[in-house]
Amino acid sequence: MDQSVAIQETLAEGEYCIIAVQGVLCEGDSRQSRLLGLVRYRLEHGGQEHALFLYTHRRMAITGDDVCLDQIVPVSRDFTLEEVSSDGELYILGSDVTVQLDTAELSLTFQLPFGSHTRMFLQEVARACPGLDPATRDPEFQWLSRYRCTEMEPLPRGGNSALGTWPGCARIGGGRYPSGEGRWGLEEARLQGWALLCVGGVVMELPGFLLAEAAAGADPWGSAGGAVRRRDEELEEAAEMSAAAGSRDRDSSGGSHLDNLRPNGKGLFVDQSSRGQDKPENLLTRQTKSKLEITDMVRSSTITVSDKAHILSMQKFGLRETLVKSYLMQKEEDYTYIQNFRFFVGTYNVNGQSPKECLQPWLSHGIQAPDVYCVGFQELDLSKEAFFFHDTPKEEEWFKAVSESLHPDAKYAKVKFIRLVGIMLLLYVKQEHAAHISEVEAETVGTGIMGRMGNKGGVAIRFKFHNTSICVVNSHLAAHTEEYERRNQDYKDICSRMQFCQVDPSLPPLTISKHDVILWLGDLNYRIEELDVEKVKKLIEEKDFQTLYAYDQLKTQVAAKAVFEGFTEGELTFQPTYKYDTGSDEWDTSEKCRAPAWCDRILWKGKNITQLSYQSHMALKTSDHKPVSSEFDIGVRVKNEELYRKTLEEIVRSLDKMENANIPSVSLSKLEFCFQNVKYMQLQVESFTIHNGQVPCQFEFINKPGEESYCRQWLNANPSKGFLLPDSAIEIELEIFVTKTMATKLNSGEDKIEDILVLHLDRGKDYFLSVSGNYVPSCFGSPIHTLCYMREPISDLPLETVRELTLMPLWTEDDGSQLENPMEIPKELWMMVDYLYRNAAQEEDLFQQPGRRLEFEHIRDCLDTGMIENLDTLCILHHSVAEALLLFLESLPEPVICYSAYHNCLECSGNYTASKQVISTLPTFHKNVFNYLLAFLRQLLENSEKNHLDENILASIFGSLLLRNPAGQQKLEMAEKKAQEFIHQFLCNSP
Amino acid sequence: DVLFRLLLIRDSRVGKTCLLCRFTDNEFHSSHISTIGSQGVDFKMNTIEVDGIKVRIQIWDTAGQERYQTITKQYRRARGIFLVYDISSERSYQHIMKWVSVVNEYAPEGVQKILIGNKADEEQKRQVGRKQGQQLTKEYGMDFYKTSACTNLNIKESFTRLTELVLQAHRKELDGVRTRASKELALAELEEDERQTGSP
Ligand SMILES: Nc1nc2c(ncn2[C@@H]2O[C@H](COP(=O)(O)OP(=O)(O)O)[C@@H](O)[C@H]2O)c(=O)[nH]1
Ligand SMILES: [Mg+2]
Repeated sequence: MDQSVAIQETLAEGEYCIIAVQGVLCEGDSRQSRLLGLVRYRLEHGGQEHALFLYTHRRMAITGDDVCLDQIVPVSRDFTLEEVSSDGELYILGSDVTVQLDTAELSLTFQLPFGSHTRMFLQEVARACPGLDPATRDPEFQWLSRYRCTEMEPLPRGGNSALGTWPGCARIGGGRYPSGEGRWGLEEARLQGWALLCVGGVVMELPGFLLAEAAAGADPWGSAGGAVRRRDEELEEAAEMSAAAGSRDRDSSGGSHLDNLRPNGKGLFVDQSSRGQDKPENLLTRQTKSKLEITDMVRSSTITVSDKAHILSMQKFGLRETLVKSYLMQKEEDYTYIQNFRFFVGTYNVNGQSPKECLQPWLSHGIQAPDVYCVGFQELDLSKEAFFFHDTPKEEEWFKAVSESLHPDAKYAKVKFIRLVGIMLLLYVKQEHAAHISEVEAETVGTGIMGRMGNKGGVAIRFKFHNTSICVVNSHLAAHTEEYERRNQDYKDICSRMQFCQVDPSLPPLTISKHDVILWLGDLNYRIEELDVEKVKKLIEEKDFQTLYAYDQLKTQVAAKAVFEGFTEGELTFQPTYKYDTGSDEWDTSEKCRAPAWCDRILWKGKNITQLSYQSHMALKTSDHKPVSSEFDIGVRVKNEELYRKTLEEIVRSLDKMENANIPSVSLSKLEFCFQNVKYMQLQVESFTIHNGQVPCQFEFINKPGEESYCRQWLNANPSKGFLLPDSAIEIELEIFVTKTMATKLNSGEDKIEDILVLHLDRGKDYFLSVSGNYVPSCFGSPIHTLCYMREPISDLPLETVRELTLMPLWTEDDGSQLENPMEIPKELWMMVDYLYRNAAQEEDLFQQPGRRLEFEHIRDCLDTGMIENLDTLCILHHSVAEALLLFLESLPEPVICYSAYHNCLECSGNYTASKQVISTLPTFHKNVFNYLLAFLRQLLENSEKNHLDENILASIFGSLLLRNPAGQQKLEMAEKKAQEFIHQFLCNSP
Repeated sequence: DVLFRLLLIRDSRVGKTCLLCRFTDNEFHSSHISTIGSQGVDFKMNTIEVDGIKVRIQIWDTAGQERYQTITKQYRRARGIFLVYDISSERSYQHIMKWVSVVNEYAPEGVQKILIGNKADEEQKRQVGRKQGQQLTKEYGMDFYKTSACTNLNIKESFTRLTELVLQAHRKELDGVRTRASKELALAELEEDERQTGSP
């Protein structure tokens, strides 16, 4: 069904829908059907302009009522409609074609159905694109102005009665459309989702980022300024935000925005001072969690491709990138080696106190400077304010206290900070390692009141150190001796609910267990069971921790596989860290008189981890707990840059190779085709085979630039398109068949048997097939007067002579004195008529029975070689000769009654005198032929008893042969009747 | 990421197909049956990194025979063109000038070109002196590389160089690379006029 018909109905005068295709408009997740019509408008002063009309439609559009104009995209100089190659993806045979429509202002994506119609559509659109020749005028699209505000104008003709459905104002998007109003069709171009843009080395995280490319107005210059301005404001605002987040004031005022260092997925910014160098316009940060929608656009000019900056586009998440990543993962051992780093892990329940003493005994005494510090606190603040408003001055106090007590032999950079009410975790690394920390994320899980609140729960920081992923968890589990099952449950909840965003949002969030190394610290609150307080204290006094440990709930729960599965804990060689009278080393003397317990613990999970120490620090007396610390040597996978580059290169290369192997490729058994002695209406066939390679492919002969069909008229490829499965083959036949429409030009040399076919593989190569040959001129297709000047058989004449005579104008007969005396009628005509007259005058059904094709070829050869006697000696059906005569008349480039006389003849049909008068005006040779033929036909009628011919039969056969409509093929019944009538007169009346 | 098209042109048998094969697959077949394969237009994809920008290049290998010129001009919509001659064939060198004029006629404005003297390993059969190569280079302001698909001399270098030149020539557009709804950072501006140049 050609839907351009329906579109045409809605168009105005001068507008013509060249071709239409039904496609799917893809905007984000939405898919809507649209009819795309390419409309041409002829300008008054010559020339033409095009526009793409997009319609919504209610079904397969049959009439204008079925379509409703949605948007017009002028085909301007900056218009492109291009197939989007699915890079790296396996092309699926027969799948839709995705095309991208771009103008300076808008960008739309369509899916068009697979097949040649779509291809034709794309070709037509390509042809419609104005060239880049600066000499030609820019298209102005004034004709489109009528669509801009249709309420002022009558509806386009075509009787679209659905007045209500017609959009009051059709949108005209894109193009250099000279109009100030231009916010049409903008919503379409938005892309919702996440985008990561790396700007000068800084990553902007833009949740809900709207790619509003099309948001600029229709006038690219006028509105661009506005867009830029809006963007600058946006950036300023963002810069302010980040500055605020980075300021210490804000931190100490208790904001939870201490994590002012934004991980960028690659490297890390070590301290705030480096931020000062970032110009505001280069920095655009957003709180990850407040998923604000940024409705304005971030235009290209903010993105600079500097030497080091990568553009992390959406394509990063494409199949190709994913493949590269997973291959890199697979080959990790090829380009990394294990290197040990010293980790310090500490946990301290501070019982809501402020720091009163130096933390160095806990954090740095008696150890060498660790590479990484993981320091966790619980019960940082027990006040209601902290609980309800999540705000506490203690945060800053303890942060300072820790920062000041880190090992003095090294400089540390804070990587991340996270707090949930009283549970806080700090992560520092030696400054020189900062560049190797990436993908830092922090999350919290509350398991307290109602199972959600933050009085209990956990916080965690995950990051990548070189190539190893590490997760540090600090948790404060449920209290009270009998509540060990709650504690187990809290642990499970933290494990299941702790989820980290990934750099690649298409990947599922990470959980704790997905890390190479897990370090778990905190006030786990497991107690010592089944022993009374005195017994416990006695065992402690005896330092019989081993015996005591047997009653430790955590030990028994882990042994029962109820909690911390797969985790390891070092031997407890220190006395329980709970519960002391504050400011002393005395066991709890309060009313409750809590039994001592190892509440504060450090566990780990993962390979290449060696615990070096595990101890408590009795020197600190601020809290009712004692802090605990542990040192580890952790083997981290470090990249060898050289090897990494090599591996990456190999992977990219192998992907390229795979991709190249997926480009369809065939082999052809033959590329040159030579057709010798091509004759009029004689089929010649040459075949070749296409052998497919390993990739399924679609092949098609395609048009050469500027041509309407893939080959010349006399040539045909069968089949001209098709599919090939891997390793399969198909035979293609190239057929040459010259008919009347081509014969004359081949005789005259204006056309030659010469062509190049382009065999195109979809998404693959093109192959050129060259066709050559020679044509043997024939009397068939030669003009009457040309034949009259050929006294010799046509095959005896040099080609040059045939050419000259064929090109001789119709009316040159009178002053043709320099030429040989012409014959009165073509000798070939005489040969056929004479033969029929002598042999077939009494033949029944003459001119009504088909001849034989092979015999026609003999007859043609006899006529062209002048071997008339062969006609008699060969045993030929009379009907074959009769048909040859009809073919001869049909193939005359100028009919017996010249085109110029056609209308006169029809007019005076019925008036015999006038008709004779018209005949007398014909060129002499034509007149001769006419009279000669009619005389012959009248002779036949004299034998009508035998041959059963009558005037009506002959008039109907010869009417349309002798009189041909100059307008071409259209057959008008009236005209045909008149033509027959015209001939009829001459059959009935002797001259 | 950036995607664009590079084109190899030359006379037949100068070794263009081999260059491409060496570059993309690191393979060389001396018995390469070139006649069938080379009658048409072939292409391969390659990814290289230049200046930290990942560039995907589509390299076209076109038939060199004269009679295909009217057809192959539609493939000349490339951003960069390798003009290849064979140092052991004086004729192929002579033809470079012809190719230069063909390219100037059909290729888009600002197209980058480099000159390649291939089969540098065939020193004993040398017909074109190195000076001659450099002379052309000067004349047309092109970079020149002496290469060998056989010994893998300067193959990667020349492809990388042309890619660099194209990137430099389009620095402005590159700086203005936009994120596109197509989820792909193709160089819109670079590809923009392709269809138009392609249409007659
Ligand atoms: N010695 C040598 N031979 C080469 C080199 N490159 C190509 N050839 C040979 O030259 C012939 C033509 O190569 P081909 O790539 O098909 O040429 P094309 O027609 O330009 O594509 C083949 O026989 C190749 O083996 C080269 O660098 N050194
Ligand atoms: Mg080749």
